[in-house]
Amino acid sequence: MKSIDSSFQRPRDLPDIHILSSGTSICAGCGGLQAIHEILDILGLKTVTVNASGCMSLLSVYPFTPFSGSWLYTAMASAPAGAQGVRDALDRLLAKKRISSDEDMQVVVLSGDGSATGIGLSATSGAIDRRLDFIYICYDNEGYGNTGQQFSAGTPHGARTTTSRGEHGYCGYKKDLFSIWKANHPAYLATVSGAEPLDLARKIEKAKSIKGPSLIIAFSPCPTGWHFPPQESIEIGKLAIRTGVWPLKEYEDGKVVHTYMPARRLPVTEYLKKQGRFAHLFHPGNEYLIKEMQAELDAYWACVEKSVKSSETKE
Amino acid sequence: MYRIRFHGRGGQGMKMASHILGTAFFLAGFEVQDAPRFGAERRGAPIFAYVRAQRDPIKERGIISHPGLILVADESLVPMPAAGILDGVEKSSVLFLNSREDAATWKKRLNFPGKILAMDLIGADLNVPGGQRFFGAICAGAAAALVGVIPEDILLQAIEAELTHVEAEVIRENKTRALAAFQAMMEYSGIVKEGGGRQAAKFKKPEWIEVPFDEAGVSAPAIHGSRTSELMKTGAWRLRRPVINTSRCKGCWWVCSTFCPDSAIVAKDGRPHIDYDHCKGCMICMVQCSAHAITLVNEYEAEEADKSE
Amino acid sequence: MNKQMLTGNVAAAWGARLAGIDYLPAFPISPQTEIIETVAEWIDTGVMDATMTTLDSEHSMLTAAGGAAATGVRVFTATSSQGLLYGMEMMYALAGWRVPLVLINVSRGLGAPITLEPDHNDVLAARDSGFLQLHCSTCQEILDSILIAFRLAEDKRIRLPVLVNLDGFYLSYTREPVIIPEPKEARDFVGPYDPGTVRFKADAPISEAVAVLGGEAYSYFRYEVQVAARKALEVYEEIAAEFQAAFGRSYDKIDAYRADGAEYLFLMIGSFATKAMDAVDQLRAAGWKIGLLRPRLLRPFPDRDLRILAAGRKGIAVVDQNLSFGRGGILHTEVTSSLYGQPGAPPVIAGFVGGLGGRDIAAEEFYQMAEDLKKACRKGVQPPMRLLYTAGELTAMRKLQTIAHAVRPEGGRDEKH
Repeated sequence: MKSIDSSFQRPRDLPDIHILSSGTSICAGCGGLQAIHEILDILGLKTVTVNASGCMSLLSVYPFTPFSGSWLYTAMASAPAGAQGVRDALDRLLAKKRISSDEDMQVVVLSGDGSATGIGLSATSGAIDRRLDFIYICYDNEGYGNTGQQFSAGTPHGARTTTSRGEHGYCGYKKDLFSIWKANHPAYLATVSGAEPLDLARKIEKAKSIKGPSLIIAFSPCPTGWHFPPQESIEIGKLAIRTGVWPLKEYEDGKVVHTYMPARRLPVTEYLKKQGRFAHLFHPGNEYLIKEMQAELDAYWACVEKSVKSSETKE
Repeated sequence: MYRIRFHGRGGQGMKMASHILGTAFFLAGFEVQDAPRFGAERRGAPIFAYVRAQRDPIKERGIISHPGLILVADESLVPMPAAGILDGVEKSSVLFLNSREDAATWKKRLNFPGKILAMDLIGADLNVPGGQRFFGAICAGAAAALVGVIPEDILLQAIEAELTHVEAEVIRENKTRALAAFQAMMEYSGIVKEGGGRQAAKFKKPEWIEVPFDEAGVSAPAIHGSRTSELMKTGAWRLRRPVINTSRCKGCWWVCSTFCPDSAIVAKDGRPHIDYDHCKGCMICMVQCSAHAITLVNEYEAEEADKSE
Repeated sequence: MNKQMLTGNVAAAWGARLAGIDYLPAFPISPQTEIIETVAEWIDTGVMDATMTTLDSEHSMLTAAGGAAATGVRVFTATSSQGLLYGMEMMYALAGWRVPLVLINVSRGLGAPITLEPDHNDVLAARDSGFLQLHCSTCQEILDSILIAFRLAEDKRIRLPVLVNLDGFYLSYTREPVIIPEPKEARDFVGPYDPGTVRFKADAPISEAVAVLGGEAYSYFRYEVQVAARKALEVYEEIAAEFQAAFGRSYDKIDAYRADGAEYLFLMIGSFATKAMDAVDQLRAAGWKIGLLRPRLLRPFPDRDLRILAAGRKGIAVVDQNLSFGRGGILHTEVTSSLYGQPGAPPVIAGFVGGLGGRDIAAEEFYQMAEDLKKACRKGVQPPMRLLYTAGELTAMRKLQTIAHAVRPEGGRDEKH
């Protein structure tokens, strides 16, 4: 996890002032809010956040806002289109010198996985096609959290949700949002976790410096929907990384780089057993599901390790 | 009509309380309406649920504006304006508080027009992990006794009907607590009376006004400026607080301050400081502090310590 | 008799279960989600035999609903508010396809500002779509209306989708005792779904929902939807009579409460109408001759029933939980246009707008509306529309605006009040 160019070399380089203020009505121990607050700290004050319906719709409830920058609530399907309008207008104002470059802002979309992997994909795809200069932040809590955790296209295979309460949990597979974006020539992509703030800070710093469409997918443990005590949020984030469930990676100039290679991956059960949504996987008869998950992770990482080795030999 | 409001915090089972009492009334032959008050409420935030019951069909709807009985799961809610515990109270209202202080003290403090009953029925569960989920059954048991029209066996039947998704042990624990609360309140059985409707012959005129014209700069739902959410004291959601042991703290503020989801740990002079006005008590900081310099303290103990200082 | 405490949402799920639905396309949105969660659990645990598919949006959900209905299965689906509007294009389409299905809308105020609690701007935005509309005021009525709605939608003379409306929170999350009909009796009442000739089948090719060019052909198809929707008035009567014979509960097109001998009437739809019933009881006790009309069927609009029920009254107070900006209450417009020029029509039809976004309408406000109506009738002048809002509410709003730094120009107008 090295990044020579970054201004974030050591933990003490992290911001000591938080620009997303306290007092929101988001659940205690929310992993999504935790990641967003780290992200906004790096993005700085000059942002306009265009929000898609989701848990974070409740960040700003009249007359209370935690933002130091600006905010626009749009709808569940069309936040990237809202961002397009804001960006185009800012560009027009800049071109006509009706605002100075000091008054320009970074346009950010804030959306959950429900919108990012489903209803919002069409508007997202259009924004990428148009090379919109924006940063799309997806807080991925792996379900429709704001309506009580029904499964979304971001829900992992086997997880229990309120619409997949059967003995084997959700029968679908988590949609690979990273690869969908990657196939469409974005400017920058990264997965992040609030549990790895330095890695996160470097990636946000980079996203900020690159023009064009960027995606940040933030791992967002949800105590309410995943059924674990709020104090465990960061711990679960760390376990997701150490078991290889949540790879930390980025995409730039046509290449995917894993920014953290787990030297010795923990078994996936270490991650699963902490969460109520996976409790049924430990019931007799479901052993195969855990085996499948482990095999899938092993295959993924074998592939990553192989490509790392081959690029090393080339060098 | 019996009009009953249960006040508690998200996670304390107030919806369950209204469901148990609602079903108990129903099994006792009443027409019933029960509902939780949903919104943006979160675990720890004030929440309420309500029950209406009478022998005839019920036409009233929505929040109970003039309650005959108010039950408060946890006395720490009383001073919170957002909890709205005293909304619409009248001379005929009865207030039951789970409290370590006595009724006379509360009567004086609140200038309450009706009767107050105070007893600590939750003490044994308050600080036990997971204990708060029993508050619902406890409050329902107390309410069933206070209305005086629900026999013990029907209360227990209602608990079974409402707890179909849980293990037998949990049902048993709920029953034990509800029954204890029921019996503790039996000396006041029937203290809560059915209330009438709002009289139309003589009523207080609503103060209707013409909605004023305001320019869009004022009348659009826009918040000008930043960080107004700091006015929301989410610290009131908390029943346990993290406390930094300054002698053990190594000053690595970037751990606790960065990991706090709510920006409630601020670094000052290289040291972390917890903003108790906003800390929601998630305790992530305690788990993540590698120096083990953060400990858990129950809120009422911390407040009592503050008072004595 | 199986009588249980059910929320409006669970009552709706029971309606779907008892109607023997084949297919539920779904998309979560508050406060409707409990309906799809309940059905999902029943399917997962094997107590209900149906196919449920979570779609990627309400637009997709309604398209799938129409596709399935066009293929020949019984379809049920549900949404709320923003979801209803997002799917709106397909509502107009499905009515034009002439496919029968039942859609639940759990009413919730529309953004902006985005909110959670109910009013009727969402469902009334669908007023002109060609969906027939049934409006419920109790949890029992929700379950029963779904059974009736399937009959109405699938009737060969009608074949139009039907929307059943219930209010968020006041019904969706509120439990009341509900009689759950015996499954066999419910099945016998609803009957099997017979898609007739309009369905996809390999040996009988069919092109559905095709385009037309030219206003003449277009007008024919659109007029036919109108004619079918009007026909639904009499078909509804037959079905409601059959329902009453089978289950003993009667559901007129307009529910008239203590209207006999009433000089004045409230007119409301939805769950707040039971609050109006309460007000009627209290006003009657205080010597008033007053009652309530509650249209259950809003599309088709039961003009004839309304004219009969309204004839000879001194005045009607229409209480709208919706607002057509720049005009006023939508029901008020519908009622006045329906009664205009009719023999015996009340000379005064007063319009009130309240209960937006779940705002309560207090008993005292009903009493005041009655008094204002009486005063207007005495003068014989139609009073201006009244937006229910109190000085206390404005004061509270001004405090919020101060926090939001919404600066008002000097000499703001509030002082006058």
